Amino acid sequence: MTFRSYIFPFLLALALHVLAVGALMIGFEPEASERKLIKPQIVTSKLIVLEPKSVARPAPPAVTPKPQPVPDNSAQQAAAAKAAQQKAAREAAERARRLAEQEAAEKQKVNDEIARQQRLAELASASFDDALAEEVSNIEEANAEQVAASFRQLIYQRIVSNWSRPPSARNGMQALLRVELVPTGDVVGVTVVESSGNAAFDQSAEAAVRKARKFDVPKESAAFEKFFRRFTVLFKPEDLLR
Amino acid sequence: MPEQLSVFELVANASIVVQAIMASLLLASVVSWVMIFQRWFTLRRALRTVTEFEEHFWSGIDLRKLYSELSSAGDAQGIETVFVAGFKEFTRMSEQSGTDRETIMAGVQRAMRIAVNREEERLEAHLPFLATVGSTSPYVGLFGTVWGIMNSFRSLANMSQATLASVAPGISEALIATAIGLFAAIPAVIGYNRFSARVETIMKRYEAFSDELVGILERAAHSKK
Repeated sequence: MTFRSYIFPFLLALALHVLAVGALMIGFEPEASERKLIKPQIVTSKLIVLEPKSVARPAPPAVTPKPQPVPDNSAQQAAAAKAAQQKAAREAAERARRLAEQEAAEKQKVNDEIARQQRLAELASASFDDALAEEVSNIEEANAEQVAASFRQLIYQRIVSNWSRPPSARNGMQALLRVELVPTGDVVGVTVVESSGNAAFDQSAEAAVRKARKFDVPKESAAFEKFFRRFTVLFKPEDLLR
Repeated sequence: MPEQLSVFELVANASIVVQAIMASLLLASVVSWVMIFQRWFTLRRALRTVTEFEEHFWSGIDLRKLYSELSSAGDAQGIETVFVAGFKEFTRMSEQSGTDRETIMAGVQRAMRIAVNREEERLEAHLPFLATVGSTSPYVGLFGTVWGIMNSFRSLANMSQATLASVAPGISEALIATAIGLFAAIPAVIGYNRFSARVETIMKRYEAFSDELVGILERAAHSKK
């Protein structure tokens, strides 16, 4: 009785474990999910200075009163009176002229001031526009550079994975190759620009690029033309150790 | 390295120590489940027997007749053995002349206490095993994990380039040991708690019944005099 009472529980326990292991077999496969790398949006700002180039200030017209000639009272009264009359008339004319002159100078001054203000405003807005345009182009350039760097990294990986280092390769060797691509990313030309001095090494480097055959390149033709139409790759055996 | 790691590859790649620990934990798990099922059935049967017997006992049946029924069948179990032991002692002692009532009742009580203790022992069998599995298998699994991680880091030290991919399988396989340990421990702990509570319930009913039987027999002995 005692032994028999264990048979059924044993079968149950066994079935339970088989079930658990079976569930593990089905449910354990790890999911190979593509992970998206979220790149932080970099906001770059630049301090711009709104300072116009120093505008030459128009010098205020100097108004210097002439010393008044002192009339001399001599014996010839009539002549003197006449002379005085003439003189007074001359003086009045002179005064009127001077007044007009002064007025004109004042007007000129006001005009100058307005012109100066206008020029200043123009200058300020121009320098702000310039700074803005410069900043935008800086950002665009940085973005393009970033994209190019990531493509460059891809190309680098592809070449490295296709490269089999010859046994004669030594540390310190380096070969510079020029690679030419067409916009689809296909390799159309590989030339050794700087030989490592070891023909086998150069050949292996060339073969690595040719074997890669096709690289991923940016879709925008501007970026492609700028960075990938023709570029150079430096081969060093140390790279393989990484 | 394969793209997808299955549990079995991980286990097969583990070191001998970790494999041994996993095997022993798996064995402990199987055995503890056997105990859990066996206890479950036994205790359920015991509880049912108590209920049925009490119903039968209080239905007004003649105790002598009940006794002869049970002792002739010979498959008395649980509470029935308590009753048989008590009643047998009572009849045997009251047949002997010259024994006073206190002696008879003391003998009956002793006989029933012994029967109850024996039943308790039977009901509590294997519960210590469950308690042991429940408390130690997490530690055993942890030991396997620590050992496996230790080894995988040691082998990492010999590599020129340390990547996550070179340690991850080792750690994953080591963690399986902890998983198995917990897998064994959790049901064992739950089973232990549940079954010890149930044993307590059953024992209370046995004791209550034996007290009631002592009362009945004492009354019978008193009226006989």
